[in-house]
Amino acid sequence: MTGIGPGMGGPDLIIAHLYPDLLRTYGDRGNLITLVRRAEWRGFSVRVVGVTRDERIPARANLVLIGGGSDRLQAIVGPDLVARRPELEELTAHDAVIFGICGGYQLLGDFYVAADGRSMPGLGMLDITTGPGKGRIIGRVRAQATLYGDTFECVGFENHGGRTLLRTSSATPLASVPHGQGNNGADGTEGAVQGNVVGTYLHGPVLPATPAFADALLRRALAPRTKGAPLEPLNDRLEEEAHALARTLRR
Amino acid sequence: MTTSNGSETVFQSVAVDNVSMPAAHSPPPHEGFNHEDGTGAGVATPGGATARARLRDAAAAAAALAAGRLSRTMRAGGGSSLPGVLVESLSPGFIARRAARLADGVVAVSGTNGKTTTASMIRVILRQEGLSTVGNESGANLKRGIATALVDARSNATVGVFEVDEAALVSLMPALRPRLVVLTNMFRDQLDRFGEVERVAELLRGACERLPDDGYVIANVDDPLLWHTVEGFRRIGFGVRRPSVSPTSGAGSPGIDPGAEPTPCPRCGAPLNYEERTIGHLGVVRCTRCSMRSATPDYEARVLIRDGLRSIVLDVAGVPLTLSTGGLHNAYNAAAAIAAAGVLGISPTRSVTALESFRPRFGRAEELQANGRPVWLALMKNPAAAAALIPEIAEDPRVGAVVVSVNDLVADGRDISWIWDVDFERLATAGVPLIPSGTRAPDVAVRLKYAGADPLPASRAPADAIRAATDACPPGKQAVVMATYTAMLDIRRAFLGDRAVRLLDVRS
Repeated sequence: MTGIGPGMGGPDLIIAHLYPDLLRTYGDRGNLITLVRRAEWRGFSVRVVGVTRDERIPARANLVLIGGGSDRLQAIVGPDLVARRPELEELTAHDAVIFGICGGYQLLGDFYVAADGRSMPGLGMLDITTGPGKGRIIGRVRAQATLYGDTFECVGFENHGGRTLLRTSSATPLASVPHGQGNNGADGTEGAVQGNVVGTYLHGPVLPATPAFADALLRRALAPRTKGAPLEPLNDRLEEEAHALARTLRR
Repeated sequence: MTTSNGSETVFQSVAVDNVSMPAAHSPPPHEGFNHEDGTGAGVATPGGATARARLRDAAAAAAALAAGRLSRTMRAGGGSSLPGVLVESLSPGFIARRAARLADGVVAVSGTNGKTTTASMIRVILRQEGLSTVGNESGANLKRGIATALVDARSNATVGVFEVDEAALVSLMPALRPRLVVLTNMFRDQLDRFGEVERVAELLRGACERLPDDGYVIANVDDPLLWHTVEGFRRIGFGVRRPSVSPTSGAGSPGIDPGAEPTPCPRCGAPLNYEERTIGHLGVVRCTRCSMRSATPDYEARVLIRDGLRSIVLDVAGVPLTLSTGGLHNAYNAAAAIAAAGVLGISPTRSVTALESFRPRFGRAEELQANGRPVWLALMKNPAAAAALIPEIAEDPRVGAVVVSVNDLVADGRDISWIWDVDFERLATAGVPLIPSGTRAPDVAVRLKYAGADPLPASRAPADAIRAATDACPPGKQAVVMATYTAMLDIRRAFLGDRAVRLLDVRS
């Protein structure tokens, strides 16, 4: 377990980054950087802890980030991650937010069937299942999201072989996808939210050009400290320019 | 097997790591085969058919050349590959027949990064030996680009050195029938095209399976997944060692290049310990669980002195080599070229002599003049390329401003997520003015902001960005441009005009 940032004196926000050595497909680290900076710019102290196989997640973590990886890498982390269910449930009971991208999103579900037909159990913290589909879903996405009372447009890039279905009404779609394929290319949904567990297929990475998404996650994760008070606005001129450009791009 | 002046044999018998090459007087790999059917299957055809095919090839080549010239004259673009498209449709099987005429055989260079430079270095070595080479020097590395190179080839060319796209290599193996396949590395690149790195490994393995029995794979031993991928083939390894660096290990260690590939053991999946790391996931590893460990390279380049992007001094098999193009990535390129030449019977001493005169080309850290100032232009096509460039740029006191130009066309990769895997934090600490540019300039601006920099206003057009950089650059210093593939082409076009046209449409 390796810490970055102030170690002593109780940081305002502890982010656990799971499997930084394995689940790090294309730019997932951008979400981490965005969450850290946007908290720091508001004066919160942040500690990031990388947690890989056989290491413990800090008991006081407020936000757990799980990135994506190939089928081979997901098979490698799968057993270690699934064994963490008690650890993660303990964290969500203390209001921590769990955020999974692509492969991390799939593994938060009940099970995942890889392209070669092998089935692996998931964490079962999102009522979703993922199976193989014909061809990969690849392209730019714009999605209309609602998260913890905030509505915003996400821009990102999807690149996944799995098709995800929301199994019960306990899990609600994170977004609708008027422009893109989303969870399965069929029902117009993208991502899932179930209490403090949030998952999405969007790379891009999604948070830097969708600062409202980052802030919704931060506000929820910081709630134990801020009592859910709104976050101080930041100068997002550059982020808005990047978002506006992404809106003009072809799929 | 003769040199272009017909006097002396070059490809001598050598023993490398207990594997011996064919003797000097054994036939070249292609001799005795007939490639008339265009598949290289060796089906004999009557002499009349051969003559007709040759005539058809000659006519098709002439027509294709004329069309290429016309296209360039009319500035229609696509001059680089148009003749290749035409010649293969006018005379199917052209590549196989023309490649079979290369008496000293074909070398194919593939892998994610370093193809163009490595192939170029191999040609420089072979030319010094008196051989007349043919190759896709502009980097057009799909079938049509290779066909174009064969159309353009001098009639006395005896050896082909082609860089080949990772996905195109399998299908080109029967036509090219290379005696050597040189594999540089496997990094994440164009995931929107390939899906996953493992897919690239499958493609390269499939290509190696099509090597002739006397063929060799020259591969990077410092790339654990790549070296594992070519296990079971006749393989020769190259690697780079930098003795001064302290070892890093462990999955979450700080200081690991953030763009490094995830590297579980390719054999058992356990974490790898790094005894030494060079670029990204390249280095000397040992598995924490099984017996897997990095092989000792047959050809090793030891780094002696680094001087930014300008030069690097290496020790190759006890012979010092000063390369006029810096960075650890070029140490790998040189090691790969020297290994390939070695398997072809050329000693490292002779290869080093040839490489001393090597000059970078086509945006691989070349120097241009812009607004009366020298500007370094460096290709940053993926996180691995950026990982190689950034330490050299950030530590070079001669650098006064940096343009970061990112396009998102198909040839660049349409998903630009990878810019978040690049250690721009390190570039930000250099404190020089940074100018976002390219079709995704606003995203670059956000990336630089989150890296802790305060970027200058974004300039989407390359000429404007370079103007901003030379304006911001203090006197006596020089600007550096890091550009993705098509961004680099845009910049070259802006400064070199028609001379850059041959670089168009390198990839579809």
